[in-house]
Amino acid sequence: MSINWSKLTGRITGWVLPIFLMIIWDVASENGWLSSQILPSPREIVQAAIDLGISGELAKNIIASSERAGWGLLIGGSIGFFLGLVNGLSRTADRFLDTTVQMIRNVPHLALIPLVIIWFGIGEEGKVFLVTLGVFFPIYANTYHGIKTADPQLLEMGRVYGLNHWQLFSQIIFPGALPSILVGLRYSLGLMWLTLIVAETIATTSGIGQMAMNAREFMQTDVVVLAILIYALLGKLADMGVHFLEVRLLQWHSGFRQ
Amino acid sequence: MKAFTTHFKNSSMTTTADFTNTSSITLKLEQVSKQFGNLTVLENLNLVIEPGTFVAIVGKSGCGKSTLLRLISGLDQPDQGTVFYDGKIHRKLNGHARVMFQEARLLPWLNVVDNVQLGLGKTGKGKALEALNHVGLESRAKDWPSVLSGGQRQRVALARALVHEPRLLLLDEPMGALDALTRIEMQQLVERIWLETGFTAILVTHDISEAVMLADRVILLDDGKIDLDVKVDLPRPRHRDNPNLIKLQEDILRRVLTIPA
Repeated sequence: MSINWSKLTGRITGWVLPIFLMIIWDVASENGWLSSQILPSPREIVQAAIDLGISGELAKNIIASSERAGWGLLIGGSIGFFLGLVNGLSRTADRFLDTTVQMIRNVPHLALIPLVIIWFGIGEEGKVFLVTLGVFFPIYANTYHGIKTADPQLLEMGRVYGLNHWQLFSQIIFPGALPSILVGLRYSLGLMWLTLIVAETIATTSGIGQMAMNAREFMQTDVVVLAILIYALLGKLADMGVHFLEVRLLQWHSGFRQ
Repeated sequence: MKAFTTHFKNSSMTTTADFTNTSSITLKLEQVSKQFGNLTVLENLNLVIEPGTFVAIVGKSGCGKSTLLRLISGLDQPDQGTVFYDGKIHRKLNGHARVMFQEARLLPWLNVVDNVQLGLGKTGKGKALEALNHVGLESRAKDWPSVLSGGQRQRVALARALVHEPRLLLLDEPMGALDALTRIEMQQLVERIWLETGFTAILVTHDISEAVMLADRVILLDDGKIDLDVKVDLPRPRHRDNPNLIKLQEDILRRVLTIPA
């Protein structure tokens, strides 16, 4: 029985600082150095999570937010991916569309919120629309870049070895672009949550953002902090998802091999 | 020359390309020129290569030897003149020719056996493994190319070329980047496979000893023209210390070096 100490310490190291800060926070709250009006104690937050969990409100709001995020990512990601492919592969399409895409990109999508409220009211469509806009560009830009930087030497080899257009795409261009596309996905996920937080605090009837805004009205700082922590957790989960994809799909890449 | 004419007549009668035909190719270049901008890389080049021969093209860098190979493969087109395969005018990429490049150009996202299988479809697995066996790398079939050494990668690239049973194998300095010992091993491997298979082989190299070791015929290119065209009439397997071989090598080298730069 031997314990792999270096592996164990490697896993623990990252958690030392957060746990230490939690302890200080807890001690400060318990001794009254930190007013619960400003920052509730960790125990209060856990209690709030349990209460909201039992009432079913927490699950309802997380599902509502995740649904918006998911639809926005699906729609915006698909459009970005498709346009990235088309503009990366066809010079004509690139010339025709790139100016438009760059102009849209330079409008901060959150600046559209007043217009979005006029268009869609406070329903689901407006929020999905904003998330769609937010996630579109990183996926578009990275897909485009990945396709454009396909190795010309490998493409030449593919032609000599008798690959047709579809095979050149599926065997050489797309696998070569995949690392870049996944980087785009990662950026998009960050923007997805950011957009959603802003959209949900402005106009909603459900979701984590709405839960936080409601709690603010009643000075329930514990619920506000809980909402923030849930956003952090969801963001971390999304990132882990991409990491999982990278490890699965990019095994050939020495940077991702386990 | 008689053999060439008969071959010419026979093949001009066949109308469709036959991939299962493993017989080697007769190659003819007629008045071929190639310019890049104002620079003339090849000028009125005439060349006939008999089927099944091993031809080496040597010359200083920039003499047009790689361009010549690209014209023969169909990757580039001549500005003037014509390339004939078995007497037929040839303009597109030719399905009977395979190229080995200076870099192995393996797809990093496919394992070794899938790289060899490239362009064959699902049914090619057995053939791919057989080709890997031929170059002595069957045990590495499941590995990623990134974990192989430079010499092993080139052997995989050779297997990938062989699996298509090419009638013409074009070698664009594939041993140029290998260390001295690996290079000798690779030369022996290429020679052995060429003797077994009998395709027409054209090797572009700057290494004159490599050219005289492997080739039946050495062509020296200078400034886009053929400066020297010699037969290497030595029995195989050749030995590096064969005095005739050393003398021939010295003659060619002297010729290369006396050419004013």
